[in-house]
Amino acid sequence: MAASNFSRKFSKWWILIFTLLDSCVDRIEFDIPPAQNQLVVEGMISDDPGPYTVRISRALDLEADSVVISPVKQAKVKLLDDEGRSENFSETSPGVYVTGGLIRGKVGNRYHIWLETQEGEQFESQPDAIRSVGPVENIRFEFEARSITENYGPVRADVFNVYMDANAGAGTDGEKFVRWKFTGTYEVLSYPERHFIWALGFTLPDPYPCSGYDFDEAGNLVSMGPCTCCSCWAHHYESQPSLSDGQQVVNNQYYNIKVGEVPITSATFYNKYQVEVAQMSLSRTAFEFFKLVRAQKEGAGSLFQPPSGEIKGNISPLNNSKPIVGLFYATSINRKSVYIQRSDVPYNIPPIAEIRYPCTWYENSTNVKPSNWE
Amino acid sequence: MSAVNRSSLLRRVAVFIVVFSSIVARGQDILQHQLDGTEQGKSLAVFFEELEKSSKVRVYFITEWIEPISFQRSYAGMTLEDALSDLMNGTDLSFIAMYPDALVIIKDPTQALLRKRAIEEAVKQNQRVDTYRFGDRGKARKGRLIISGQVTGSRSLDPIPRVNIQVSDTERGTTTDESGKYVLSLEPGVHVLTFSSIEYETKVIDLLAYEDGVIDFIMEESGVMLDEVVIHGNFGREVTTGKVGLTRLSMVEVKRAPALLGEVDLVKQVQTLPGVTTAGEAAAGFNVRGGSVDQNLILYDDMPSFNSSHVLGFFSAFNSEAIKDVSFYKGGVPAEYGGRTSSVLDIRSRDGDFRKWNGNVGIGLATSNFMINGPIKKDTTSVAVSFRTTYSDWLVRSIETEYADLSKSSVSFYDATMKLTHLFNSRTRLSVTGYSSNDAMRLVGDSTYQWNNLQFSAKLSHQFTEKLNSEFVAGVGSYGYSVENPDYLTASKLSFRINTILAKAAFNYPLDRHNLNFGLQMLHYRFSPGTLTPGSPASNAESITLEKQYSIENSLYVGDELTVNDRILIEGGIRLPVFISLGPATVKLYDPQSPLEVSNVSDSLNFGTAQPIETYVGIEPRLSFRWKATESSSIKFGYNRMYQYLNLVTNTTAVTPVDIWLPSGYYIKPQRADQVSIGYFTDLRSGKYAVSVEAFYKALDNIVDFKDGAKLVLNPQIETDLLQGKGTAYGVEMSITKNTGRLTGNVNYTYSRSFRQVAGPTSSESVNSGNQYPSNFDQPHIANLAWKYSLSRRLFFTGNFTYHTGRPVSIPLSAFQFENNTIAYFSGRNQHRIPDYHRLDLALIIEGHKKRKKKGEGSWVISVYNVYGRNNPYTVFFKSSGAGIPQPYQLSIIGSPLPSISYNYRF
Repeated sequence: MAASNFSRKFSKWWILIFTLLDSCVDRIEFDIPPAQNQLVVEGMISDDPGPYTVRISRALDLEADSVVISPVKQAKVKLLDDEGRSENFSETSPGVYVTGGLIRGKVGNRYHIWLETQEGEQFESQPDAIRSVGPVENIRFEFEARSITENYGPVRADVFNVYMDANAGAGTDGEKFVRWKFTGTYEVLSYPERHFIWALGFTLPDPYPCSGYDFDEAGNLVSMGPCTCCSCWAHHYESQPSLSDGQQVVNNQYYNIKVGEVPITSATFYNKYQVEVAQMSLSRTAFEFFKLVRAQKEGAGSLFQPPSGEIKGNISPLNNSKPIVGLFYATSINRKSVYIQRSDVPYNIPPIAEIRYPCTWYENSTNVKPSNWE
Repeated sequence: MSAVNRSSLLRRVAVFIVVFSSIVARGQDILQHQLDGTEQGKSLAVFFEELEKSSKVRVYFITEWIEPISFQRSYAGMTLEDALSDLMNGTDLSFIAMYPDALVIIKDPTQALLRKRAIEEAVKQNQRVDTYRFGDRGKARKGRLIISGQVTGSRSLDPIPRVNIQVSDTERGTTTDESGKYVLSLEPGVHVLTFSSIEYETKVIDLLAYEDGVIDFIMEESGVMLDEVVIHGNFGREVTTGKVGLTRLSMVEVKRAPALLGEVDLVKQVQTLPGVTTAGEAAAGFNVRGGSVDQNLILYDDMPSFNSSHVLGFFSAFNSEAIKDVSFYKGGVPAEYGGRTSSVLDIRSRDGDFRKWNGNVGIGLATSNFMINGPIKKDTTSVAVSFRTTYSDWLVRSIETEYADLSKSSVSFYDATMKLTHLFNSRTRLSVTGYSSNDAMRLVGDSTYQWNNLQFSAKLSHQFTEKLNSEFVAGVGSYGYSVENPDYLTASKLSFRINTILAKAAFNYPLDRHNLNFGLQMLHYRFSPGTLTPGSPASNAESITLEKQYSIENSLYVGDELTVNDRILIEGGIRLPVFISLGPATVKLYDPQSPLEVSNVSDSLNFGTAQPIETYVGIEPRLSFRWKATESSSIKFGYNRMYQYLNLVTNTTAVTPVDIWLPSGYYIKPQRADQVSIGYFTDLRSGKYAVSVEAFYKALDNIVDFKDGAKLVLNPQIETDLLQGKGTAYGVEMSITKNTGRLTGNVNYTYSRSFRQVAGPTSSESVNSGNQYPSNFDQPHIANLAWKYSLSRRLFFTGNFTYHTGRPVSIPLSAFQFENNTIAYFSGRNQHRIPDYHRLDLALIIEGHKKRKKKGEGSWVISVYNVYGRNNPYTVFFKSSGAGIPQPYQLSIIGSPLPSISYNYRF
């Protein structure tokens, strides 16, 4: 952490020198193969009940302005285990292939997928075993005062640091590869009924229909039904995988592992914040894959960014030499969640901002209440 | 007799020689002249004069040739021919008659021509010609005679080692040894000796010797130059230099080269030598033959230096005014050097003048420097002090930028050297050097970066006997950096430091054809690999202190330079380094079946104070061989094995302030390099051009590389993020130098490759699946062109052009989505290259009057760096596009021509 912090600060210094010496930043073009040729496969099987999903798409060009997935449709995808069973995936939406529930992941078994594109190119993943994993035992959070310096002065950027203790589980071959997946969920409120438009210098009310408000015959704005887009649940996903390689195991326990940070804002603590930690077992191959992903995410943005390794995954071509990147991994998952209440914040938080749009305006949000939200 | 007169006489003689040698001499009359006995007791010269007076005969001769010859007895009745034959028997003289009445006395014509040319050349170049006479013809003994002596510098009274001594009439040569001494074995007669050394004015000695003689003399430092032409580097002397792998750098020329912001830079000049390159624009350090920056041993007055630059590579850390002498080895490294695997840059600081006070003041756009030196007690104690500092704050603060308010920012550095030298007597000399350098940079409200280097060393040189010379050095050094974050709530200070203690004894013993060197070196290191301390009471920064690391590196060496004969020189040696990593320390043990990972710690070992943790003993054979194939060409071969115990671990391609020096120890094995090189060196047109071709092959073992995504700063278990592997590098270096004339210069081209291979048992312990990959410094094509055109004796137009292939990088090829994250698909390590690097710099140098006696001399350097404004990449980095896809960008630091002007006043 310290290192990347320092190099980030250091980059700032460089900006000074570069300005001084009339430096400049230009795009470099390299002669690289077209991205569309490269297949991307993402999928996993766990000991949770299915269905299990595999997504097949084509790689994104570096020049892409936005992430627009080009799905690979009408592929044949098959799930196989080491007991000789197999099950076909069916395509539920373009590029998304789902199992029917025939096979359920079992600790100790090995699974792999086989797939064939419309063009007849076949690929196969290396078999990956589901290893057992221990339970998440404790989740704690700690307030930390922070500020960031903007041009006009310091700005509060306090957080809750989230720590957990977990049992490392039995592992296999003495090797323990664990990933901790942090998911934050918080309720947000918006005011779509207060939406308005500008017309001829006047503001005219223009509520979103999902707010339940509409104009009555007399032209008055009245509530005609429940608001379906005033309350949402937004998610924070981890920006990079958190892995066990830097952690010491003491008596088969992980202690005080920092798994995430919860930013304190008027939105995240409008009501309360749910922290869920999933402890997942991984094979070495999958673990190396996530390590490289993490390394890449950590190094991003620094002028002295260390080169990221080639992320290969475990899928390789059978009857062709097409480039492919992807991982189909097997995991056992144990989850635990806690709530951080608004009252845990050691000062008064201002009320949530008056957003006059449907609450899905918040990033990664949905108006469907999560099943585990209490 | 003045040199000019003599040379015109010589010319007359020479013309005749040429004419006569092509004509069959028919005139016999004069030779039949009968002697009558009156000649007895007269010298031959007197006799010839009388002969000319008494007859029409003309005799052509040079007085000093025949000076010692006289008619010891009566030759009455004999013909002149017989008498002369008798007199000249056993000398290199002979005579020839042409026409009935002309007699020409000739020496061995080849020798005469060579001598004439040497003297003429010396006169043309305003070199001083001194005349020495030993013995006389009459008492000349048979066989060879010995001329020996010692050469010292005029100001420092310091013996000058490795002075090239050319015996012009034989094309033979030698060099002075470490204590400035030389021995020449010559035929009796006339010779012209040319003594030349970088930084000193060439001295020519016109010698007439019939018996052994001693010539001790003083060479003038070329700071007060009279000469018009100074040879660039020592390319022209490669053929005769004693040391096979040595290149000596001329500080005079370094100062005349175009430089960034007008700042004279030794390291940048090293980068223009064949086989040397750099990672990018203004990157710190240099890369030799495909090696990394930390593989260069940089010695400043015997102390190893861990930082060769200011402001991360923009300027050299060594003030050129404080440097006396620079030696650079990239192959055939002698046994006295060790501890790094690529090259040696041995910098000796300047001694104070023992005779009079003088100094120098320099003012440039970014820095100014001041140097003064002189006698504290004349001919006994001298002092030299130099100081250099920057005042670029005003530049920084005047910048308008959108990034930050820079009015309170600062960039500062200084370096200072002080050297005291005391001569106890002609055999004992003590010098004490102190060196300090400091860099500090701050952005408003942001971190302060600070580097500093402090060292002291004392050297006692003592001559035990005529032959046995010795040097004893003791020194301490401390290099470190810190990064301070002033933000009240997160205030912290990160620091790193290496402390070094050095003790060394070196002996030199020349014996006949041998020149023995032997000695002992001891180094003690204390590394503080990282400390993070909270910087304010409210700071939430963790307090982290990594365990200190202690080690000693002791080496014994013995080397010999054996001059087998005029053609063959063999340098051999052996060095025995012992590296011991010492406690106190706690070493983590890992599950032997698994990769080194923090999660695989199984146990730990505790070591007490000074308890050895791991010991590495090395044997380093060194061998070089020079064979003079012809008078003006030689073939050189060098082999050396070297171990390196300290590694600069970095996972960026440029040196950054938070790089870490890591000693070998329980997990990190010492690097080993074996290098062979073979080269052909030749002088064309009697030294006007020097041409060389040299090939090398290097095999490296246990090079340190890092795992993908390694974290190196404040990592208590850094071994879990590092990998060791193999490396190879090979290449051919070609160089042509023009040494004389108004236009001098050098063009060189190098083709070389450098690869690494890290193949561990698992994919995370391998790089690129264990396949060979280009190293960060694999730059196949490197070309340099440097020239100096003398517009007049005081006005020079210099320039250099540099080209090298862009270095390899790892880049994203595409991107993909995985679990809601956009992830870049990177190429394997170093599979692509950044654009090629090329740059042209020009400078105009106006130097002051070059009168030896004149007080005060100013010189101007007006230069333009990057004349055609090439955007050379400094580093490649990735900026996320709107879609979160990292896109490669290049950062060019100096994207436009950068003019500068600096002024130097020498007094």
